[in-house]
Amino acid sequence: MADGSGFYAPTLAQLFGAVPVTLLILLVSMTLATLLAAVLTACSASASPGLRAFRAGWTFLFRGTPLILQIFMIYYGLAMLPWIRWGPAWPAFRDPIFCTCLALTCCCSAYIGEVFRGALAAVPAGEIEAGKACGMSRLQLLRRVIAPALIRIALPSYSNEVIMLAKSTSLASTITVLDITGVAQGIISKTYRTLDVFLCAAALYLLINAILSAGLRAWADRLSIDRPTPKAVEPL
Amino acid sequence: MTSPIVLTANNIRKTFNGREVLKGVSLEARAGDVIAILGGSGSGKSTFLRCLNLLEVPDDGEVMVGDFRAPLARNRKGRMVIADPRAAARMRGETAMVFQGFNLWPHMTVLENVMEAPLRVQRRDGAEVREKALALLERVGMAAFAGAYPKRLSGGQQQRVAIARALATNPKVILFDEPTSALDPERVRDVLALMRSIAREGCTMIVVTHEMAFARDVSTLVVHLADGVVESSGSPAHMFGLDASPAFRGFLAPAP
Repeated sequence: MADGSGFYAPTLAQLFGAVPVTLLILLVSMTLATLLAAVLTACSASASPGLRAFRAGWTFLFRGTPLILQIFMIYYGLAMLPWIRWGPAWPAFRDPIFCTCLALTCCCSAYIGEVFRGALAAVPAGEIEAGKACGMSRLQLLRRVIAPALIRIALPSYSNEVIMLAKSTSLASTITVLDITGVAQGIISKTYRTLDVFLCAAALYLLINAILSAGLRAWADRLSIDRPTPKAVEPL
Repeated sequence: MTSPIVLTANNIRKTFNGREVLKGVSLEARAGDVIAILGGSGSGKSTFLRCLNLLEVPDDGEVMVGDFRAPLARNRKGRMVIADPRAAARMRGETAMVFQGFNLWPHMTVLENVMEAPLRVQRRDGAEVREKALALLERVGMAAFAGAYPKRLSGGQQQRVAIARALATNPKVILFDEPTSALDPERVRDVLALMRSIAREGCTMIVVTHEMAFARDVSTLVVHLADGVVESSGSPAHMFGLDASPAFRGFLAPAP
């Protein structure tokens, strides 16, 4: 590592070029997974047994199987089905970035859905009753009482899921996507400097996650009522 | 001279887990009435009050508030359910409720709590709603806290805000569910004094309470619930006199 400074700078610069791909996968999957999780939560609160069963089945399936198998099945597996291979959706399923986003969305929606469901159950019943008692419609109750409480309760666990998701995007490299990890592996195959290159890649993930956590914490602080969220656990 | 009927409950029945909590309770409230519902714990008094605005759906019987009949119907399994959520919301909008646990919305300031229903449910003009909300906060002695969040307030202060919130929609009747049971004695006095003064102004109130002095001095009708039925009822003078039913006298002063 004598020529450290001469190696790290160009490597970091090259890896930095892959940050947009990682961010694209992260932002698309995070947005879609959150929306899908909201739909799943609505299913769990529905009176319809069919919708409740759909949510339970979805969670069971996508939370119970490894993410990498989901990615492989969507990218390599679906291509074996004639109606995918020769169907109108083939241009999408041929694209590894699309397949990664699809797998991450399905998987993370199952986790985030559970976070939202737990938060919904934790919304104080009295606050909901106070809304009903003054004549709020179901939509008003949802928008004015339930959602504000639910977001505040769910935010810490939701932040966790988003950070897990940011790191899971690196699995895209297993299906040929040139994200940070993918580019890192390319550099390693030319230079054989495994540790140096992965250290650089890890530093970039740290940077992304530091910005994500700071953003999520700022959001939580803004929502928290008249005091910042506790930053340290009191010694027992 | 009789005032118009604002609330009627007819033969309300409710069963929880096989235990019949209400066995056919009826009540009629006229404008300006202050009805105190008394009874031991487990007598069904809170459940009855919650049936009046459909926070509990009665298994049988009917409720009317003003001209609104509670939109109840039996589902396929024979259980009574709210048949029309919009109509139920409209009926609830004619009433207001003050809870034992206050139940202010913690993410809204005191003023926002009071303005919420007139603004969003009744869709009244913002400036007028704000003016009235500030006047109500003044009335309950909480004007200085208009911009504060509920968790900064003591229980008694929160309950006074909750009363202002209930008054803000001009309800036909306000339902009080043990409004002083979660307060320390000093705060109980504040809240009871406020309830007395709004009763004097002609507000129609149905109050589930353990405050016997309030029932005796302020109410126009005392109802004693026991084992899910109206054991006895009458004017406070009658109920707190020597002719009251033995069961109610036993409830007031348990044998030494």
